[in-house]
Amino acid sequence: MADDKRASFEREALIHLDALYRVARRLTGNEADADDLVQETMLKAYRAWDQYERGTNAKAWLVTILRNAFINEYRRRSRHPETVDVDTLEPYAVFPDVQDEDPQGTFFDRIVDDEVLKAIDELPEAFREAVVLSDVEGMSYQEIARILKVPVGTVKSRLFRGRQALQGKLYRYAVEQGYIKGSVA
Amino acid sequence: MNCGECVEHLYEFLDRELTPELEREVRAHIAECTPCDEQFDFEEMFLKFVRARCQTQGAPPELKRRILRELFGE
Repeated sequence: MADDKRASFEREALIHLDALYRVARRLTGNEADADDLVQETMLKAYRAWDQYERGTNAKAWLVTILRNAFINEYRRRSRHPETVDVDTLEPYAVFPDVQDEDPQGTFFDRIVDDEVLKAIDELPEAFREAVVLSDVEGMSYQEIARILKVPVGTVKSRLFRGRQALQGKLYRYAVEQGYIKGSVA
Repeated sequence: MNCGECVEHLYEFLDRELTPELEREVRAHIAECTPCDEQFDFEEMFLKFVRARCQTQGAPPELKRRILRELFGE
């Protein structure tokens, strides 16, 4: 029995370790807390493995455990802003600005991983988690809505605003670096 | 479908979250409208770019070992 449990946990849960780490890293904002949060998530998940319905969505189940642990135990010491301050979000329609100069957005190719991760980390939490679950982990609106416990319409609007804000940040960075001339103020 | 309606469905289209019927309508519009087509390509490229930049990060090997030790006593 124990071997069965271990084998199925390895097959269905442990394969999501990298994904869980990426989500944890963006939620906590630092490596040490991300490590602890992922470890705790895996221990909780293993203890609760009998309650998990085999063959359903293990990744979403694990992310839900991770997020609950984050909210209960880590959020207060995360270096990110805790509340959704919608005024701090500046959605920016980039395409009209670059339409003539670089409509295919090739300037983005010059932006390195760390700058993109930093820009995501600067998004308010509600937008950051929607963007990470969708754009990095490829989850559906329905899955994200269940994990975040919000309606699908809220997921859509957070994704729209979060993506536009992220795009605006990276565009401004590209202009500063001289990757594109741009017309940003 | 006009440009405004089309762009309103932009992300749902790229995320494959539209009903088949709406998806057909969006496809039909961007096939005929160059500005919308370019904007959809731009946004699609952006989403792929974000994913590619973020996917390189994975759990550190030491964390994997630590978790296996905790779980299975190895």
